Amino acid sequence: MLPEDEPSLNIPSLLTLAVVSFFVIRWFFKRDGDSTVPGSRGRARGNVVDPAHVEQIAQMFPQLSTRDIMWDLQRNGGNVAATTERILTGRGLDTPPPSFQPLVAIPPTGVPAQPVSSASKSDGQDLITRYNLATKIAEERGEEAAARSSSGGWSQNKEERQRILQKRRDDMILAARRRMMMQKAQDTAQ
Amino acid sequence: MSISTNRLFREYKTLSTNPPDGIQAGPVNEDDMYLWEALIEGPIGTPYEGGVFAAELKFPKDYPLSPPTMRFVGGGVWHPNVYPNGTVCISILHPPGDDPNHYEHASERWSPIQSVEKILISVMSMLAEPNDESPANVEAAKMWRERRSEYERKVRGEVRKGLGL
Repeated sequence: MLPEDEPSLNIPSLLTLAVVSFFVIRWFFKRDGDSTVPGSRGRARGNVVDPAHVEQIAQMFPQLSTRDIMWDLQRNGGNVAATTERILTGRGLDTPPPSFQPLVAIPPTGVPAQPVSSASKSDGQDLITRYNLATKIAEERGEEAAARSSSGGWSQNKEERQRILQKRRDDMILAARRRMMMQKAQDTAQ
Repeated sequence: MSISTNRLFREYKTLSTNPPDGIQAGPVNEDDMYLWEALIEGPIGTPYEGGVFAAELKFPKDYPLSPPTMRFVGGGVWHPNVYPNGTVCISILHPPGDDPNHYEHASERWSPIQSVEKILISVMSMLAEPNDESPANVEAAKMWRERRSEYERKVRGEVRKGLGL
């Protein structure tokens, strides 16, 4: 009786062992794969990288591998700007783990053409009217060669910066105008 | 600050502290970093010499991924590569994927490693050497090709007019 009982008991227990070990192994490998992707579990599964984004970055940086780009996009939630900034600041992209399965087959996507900005106001005004320089020209007549040294400048103050830029702009136009008038005077003298 | 305004601010600072010869550029108003105005001096030895040209740069919200658009204001500029409305048409202002003419090298086109400074320098050399391959202003291109002296006279006249002379 006993010798016959043993095999009949062993088949279900073997089956149970097989099923249990299948789940244990599966759990083990799954955990192993996830531990190399800290902070991205769950999100990485459902998050599909837009091939157009990958293509966009690949076009800008042809030296980078598409796999690296996909890996970075997948981890930052598809933020093209963040990935680009990362490349530009020289941090570079991480190499994805071998288990990373990127999307295959990137459909070729053309970047939408930029519409030519339509002519709004065909303003036929000169720079003197545009920047209200008429009064400055009048002032200048007295002290002919105004000292123009400010070639570059920067200020921590926003208003001050604005003022410096405006001054440099005005100086450039007024100096060009002075030169042009001087040349004209020379030409007529000859 | 977003990535684009941050970057534009950095470029503004570089251009202000160390401006290239004959170029001035910055935001019209710092409250809107996406609209700039630039002044470019006409290159020496060309009919544009002595002139100052004002242009408006409009940046997209995803700058530097996409390039800005650039338009000469105050009457535009008579040039084969400038549309009659003033819009500048050169390869550095075209995104890398957009090449309808198939003659521009990807390296010449826009990419985030380019900058406002590089655009303005390119526009300056464009003034000196028009690109006959893709005329934006067909009339100007024709005149430049066939009646060079008339072209130069017209440009010189506009240069003086631009300075209010």
